[in-house]
Amino acid sequence: MFGALFEWLFKYRPAVFEQGDFALGAPLSVVVIVLVAAAISVPAVLSYLQVKGKSTARDRTVLTALRVGALLVLIACLFRPMLLLSEAVPRRNFIGVLLDDSRSMRIADRGTGTGARTRADFVRDTLGERSELLRRLREKFQVRLFRFGGSSTRADSAGAMTFDQRETRLVDAVEAARQDLEAVPLSGLVVVTDGADNAATEVNDALLGLRARSVPVFTVGLGTERFTRDIEVQRVEAPRRVLKGGTVVADVLIRQRGFDNQTVRLIVEDEGRIVAQVDVLMPAGSDASPVRVTATLGDPGPRVLTFRIPVQDREQVTENNAQRALVQVRDAREKVLYVEGEPRYEVRFIREAVEADSNVQLVVLQRTADGKFLRLNVDSGDELVAGFPKTRAELYAYTAIVLGSIEASFFTHDQLTMLADFVSVRGGGLLQLGGRRAFSEGGYAGTPLADAMPVVVEGPAVADSLTFFADLTATLTPAGMGHAVTQIGTARVSAADKWKTLPAVTSVNRIKKVKPGAVVLVSGTVPTGGRAGMPGEVTFTYEQPIVVYQRFGRGLSVAMPVQDDWQWRMGAEVAIDDQSFKTFWRQMLRWITSDTPGRVEAHATPDQVNPGSTVQLRAVVVDSAFERLNDAKVAATVFAPSGARHDLALDWAVERDGEYRGTFAPTEEGIHLVRMTAATTSGTVTDTTVIRAAPLDAEYTMAEMRRPLLQRIADETGGRFYTAETLGTLPEDIAMTKRGVTVVNQMDLWDMPIIFLLLVGLVSAEWGYRKLRGLA
Amino acid sequence: MSSRTIIRCLALAACATLSVVQDAGAQRGGRPQRGRGFDMGALGDPNGFYVPPDFMGNPPYDGRFTFARIKYRGYGRWSGREGPGWSHDYPDADVHFVKIVREITSMRPFTDAGKVLGGAIVALDEPLLFKYPVAYLSEPGGWFPNAAEAMGMRSYLSKGGFVIVDDFNYQDWSTFEAAMTKAMPELKPIKLTGKEQIFDSFFKVDMAKLRRGYSGGGSGGGAEFYGYFDKNDPKRRLMMLVCYGQDIGESWQWSGQGFMPVDVSNEAFKLGVNFVIYALTH
Repeated sequence: MFGALFEWLFKYRPAVFEQGDFALGAPLSVVVIVLVAAAISVPAVLSYLQVKGKSTARDRTVLTALRVGALLVLIACLFRPMLLLSEAVPRRNFIGVLLDDSRSMRIADRGTGTGARTRADFVRDTLGERSELLRRLREKFQVRLFRFGGSSTRADSAGAMTFDQRETRLVDAVEAARQDLEAVPLSGLVVVTDGADNAATEVNDALLGLRARSVPVFTVGLGTERFTRDIEVQRVEAPRRVLKGGTVVADVLIRQRGFDNQTVRLIVEDEGRIVAQVDVLMPAGSDASPVRVTATLGDPGPRVLTFRIPVQDREQVTENNAQRALVQVRDAREKVLYVEGEPRYEVRFIREAVEADSNVQLVVLQRTADGKFLRLNVDSGDELVAGFPKTRAELYAYTAIVLGSIEASFFTHDQLTMLADFVSVRGGGLLQLGGRRAFSEGGYAGTPLADAMPVVVEGPAVADSLTFFADLTATLTPAGMGHAVTQIGTARVSAADKWKTLPAVTSVNRIKKVKPGAVVLVSGTVPTGGRAGMPGEVTFTYEQPIVVYQRFGRGLSVAMPVQDDWQWRMGAEVAIDDQSFKTFWRQMLRWITSDTPGRVEAHATPDQVNPGSTVQLRAVVVDSAFERLNDAKVAATVFAPSGARHDLALDWAVERDGEYRGTFAPTEEGIHLVRMTAATTSGTVTDTTVIRAAPLDAEYTMAEMRRPLLQRIADETGGRFYTAETLGTLPEDIAMTKRGVTVVNQMDLWDMPIIFLLLVGLVSAEWGYRKLRGLA
Repeated sequence: MSSRTIIRCLALAACATLSVVQDAGAQRGGRPQRGRGFDMGALGDPNGFYVPPDFMGNPPYDGRFTFARIKYRGYGRWSGREGPGWSHDYPDADVHFVKIVREITSMRPFTDAGKVLGGAIVALDEPLLFKYPVAYLSEPGGWFPNAAEAMGMRSYLSKGGFVIVDDFNYQDWSTFEAAMTKAMPELKPIKLTGKEQIFDSFFKVDMAKLRRGYSGGGSGGGAEFYGYFDKNDPKRRLMMLVCYGQDIGESWQWSGQGFMPVDVSNEAFKLGVNFVIYALTH
C-alpha cells in the first residue's frame, strides 16, 4: 500500500531512488536561470512590500512565503532534476538463483489447516519453469539455478528438487555460486530459503568476502517468522565426558509457541532406556525455558543421550521435539591428592565415602606431627615419600587436589605457585576445606593461591584462641538446585528438601565475600539457637557459602569453608542408611576431576554429523609440566562401527602452540571411536573421543524463517530482502544493481505528480489565505 | 617416722583396702551389688547416671577433637574411689591423654576450658555422642545397655563412630559380649595380632611393656586385643577396638604420680595416640 502510494506520487519505486544518482539536466546555465528567477521574483516581492492595504505584517509574510515557495518549485523544475540509473542491459548479465533444497522446506506453514502449503510448494510455484517470476527474470538476465543444502550444485529447474537435504549451509552455498559465476558479468545472487542455516561457517567472514567483491545478494525469506503452536528441544549442553557411575547434568533449552502455562514432560533416554524425566511448565510470556536435568550413567563407553518431549496435540513441527547429546562414559581411575594438616575426622569420613568408588583414587598425605606424615592409598613406596610434591611433573600427576586444614606456611612459595598453576595451567580441580589452618585463618592472604580461591581471603593468620566460629545450616541456592554435585535427593525426596534435613555444620573460617565470578551452590545460615561470632562476641546474623566455586584459568577451584561436614553422615538425626554424605562426596570428587585434561586432549568438531560430512579432528599436546609441545608426532586412528580402521596423521597448526589438526569424513552410520596418540620425548600419550554419524534432524531446529539473518546478508552486500509477498519487483531491483554490463538511463523527476500537487497546493493556499483574510 | 606420718599411712592403707573390697563386690555380678561391700541404695537411682565429682559439664562443641568418655546407667563395676566402671580413671586419664596428644601430634584437641577438664562424658542414647566420632568406654563389665543405649551404640558404630573399650578382664567378657550382641548381633569380635595398622599408625609400640591390668590378664594371661569389623571382615572398617585384660586408662591416669613405671605409661600413651590417629584416618 505504502509502496504503491509512493510510486504514484513520485513516479518511481523507492528502490529507484535508492539506486539512482541525482542530477540536474537543465538546458541553460544555472546562473542564467537564477537571474531569470530573481528578475521574476524581485518585482513580485516589491509589489507585496508596497501594497500594504489592510494587510498585517503576518499576512504579508505568509503570502510572500507561499508565493516564493511556488516560484521555487517552478525554478526547481526548470533545472530539470533527474535520476541517473544504471540498468543492466537485457540478457547480457547473469544472475544466480539459489534454491534451498533442505528438509525444512517441507514444513507446511503457508496457510492453515488442510490448505496449508509447504515452503517447497512456493518454490515450485514461483520459480518453476512456467512461472511468471522466472520468465521476467529471464527477460532481463541469463539465469543460473542452484540447489543447496549441505552442498551446492547446479539445478535444471525447481521442479526437479527433492527437498531432502539434511543440512543448510547458506553462506557456503552463496560463496560457491559466486565462484561458479566468477567468469561472467554477474548482476547478483538470489537466495530463496527459510534461513534455517545450521552450518559451522562464520557468517561474518563470508559476508566480508561478498562485500569485497561487490556481489549483491537478494534474499527471499520463506515460511512464517513465528509458528503458532510448536514445542522444540532447541539445544542440549551436556559434558562430553563423565566417569562411570557419574551424574550428567545437562542444560536443555526448550522453546515453545502457543504452550503458555502448559506442562510438558522432558524425557532423557540412554539407548532407549529412560534415565531421567522432568515435567516442565512453559511460562506465559516467555518463549524459551532453560531446564537442568540430571542423569546417572553406569555403563562405560560412548552413550547417545536423547532428550525428547513427546509430540503434543496440533504441533506444527513434530521433528524438532528431540535432541541428542554424545557423552563418553569413562571407566578411568582419577587420582586425587588430599593434603591434611592435622588428624581430624574429615579424612576418615571422606575416605569411607569414596572407598567403594573404583573410579576415584583418594591419596592422602596426612601430617600427624611436625615433620611426620602418614601416606594412605599411594601406588608405591616412593609416592609422596618426600612429602608434598616439589615438582610440577609430580604434582600434575594428580587430577585434583584437596587441601584440608593446613596453613599456607607449610608450603614453600614455589609450591603455592605450583598449586595455583595446577588449576590455571594444568586445568586441575582444587578443593579447599575449612579448618583452623585454612583460608584467611591459615594465612593464605597474599599468597599465589589466594587468587585461585573463589572466596576473598584477607588478613594475617589467626591463632586458635581467636578463631571465628559459626553454626550453619545448609540451603541450596538457585544455582545449586540443578548442579551435579548437590544432587543428593532420592526417588521420594528432592535434593533441595534433602539438604534442608541435614544436620548443621560449623565453620571456623569467616568468609566476608566471594569473588565476583564465583558461584555459590550451597549457602549456610545460622540456625535458631546457633552461634556465630568471634570468641566472646555476641551472636549475630551471619551467612556464608558452604560450597562455592569459580573457574580459574583452565581449571576449577572449589571452596568448602566448613570443618565438620561429616556431621551429614554422623549427625544424631541422620538415619543409618542415609546416603547423602556418601553421594555428595562421590559427586564432589568426580566433579573436580571431570574436566581435568590429560597430556593429550582429543576433540572432534562437530561430534555429530550426517554421513559423509567432514569432522575436524584436533589434538592438544602438552609435556609433563603441561607446557604445549610443537614437536610431537600425532596420529589419529578412527575405528568405524564395522570395525574398519582409518589411520591419519595430524599436523601441527602453526598458529597455535601444541595443537594438531586433521579431518575425517565418516561414511558409515554409527559411533566412531577416535584415538589420538602423541609420541613425545617423555613418552607416548593417548586420548579418545567419539563421533556419531547419523541422519540428523538439525534442519527442523530453529526452523522458523530467520528474517534477521537474511536481512543482514542482503543489507551488508547491497541487495534486498523479500518475503513471498514482496517478491514481484525482484527482476527490476536486480537490474538496478550497477553490476555487470549496464546502460545509464535518465529518469526525469520534474513531471512527478507530487510536483504538480505541490504547485497547485501552494497557489491554492495563497488564494485561500487571501479569501480568509479578506485580502482578495 | 612421726606419729602423724604413721597415721597417714594407716589411713591410706585403710582406704586402699576398702577400695579393693568395694571393687571385688562390684565385680562379682556385674550389677550394683546391694549389701555387698557398699550400700548402693545410698547412691541414688540405679537406672540413672552417676556424676563424677570432678565433672564440671561438657565443653561446648566447637569441631575440635574432644575425648569422649561413654557413660552407662547404674553403678556396675563400682569403685568407691572412682564411681562406676565407666568413670574409672576420670578425669586424670582423660586430661593426661589429650595433653599428650596435643604435645605429640599436630592435632589441636580440646584439653580444658576453665573447670571443664579433659573432654566430654556422653551416654549412648544422647545426641551429643554423635558429635564425637571417637569414644572411650571403660569397664564394660558394668555395661548393661537398655534398648535405647544398644540402638545408640549400633547407630554410632554404623555411621562411622569408633569406640575404644578398655579396662576389663575375663570375668567381664561375657557381660561385654552380651551387650555388644544386643547392639550389633551380626558382628563378632575378631582377635588381633598386634601387627595390624592400628598398632603402629603413629608410634611403634613395644607390646611387651604394656601393663597387664589384671592378674591373669586375658584368656592366655596377657594383654589381648579384639576388633569389631564392618561385616566381620578385617579388611573393612575397624569399628571398635577392645583392650581385653588391659587398663590403658589407668596407665594414663597414674602417669603423673609415679605409681606407674614410666615405660608402661609411655607405651600406653603411644597405644592411645595410635588408636586415635588410626581412628581419624581410617
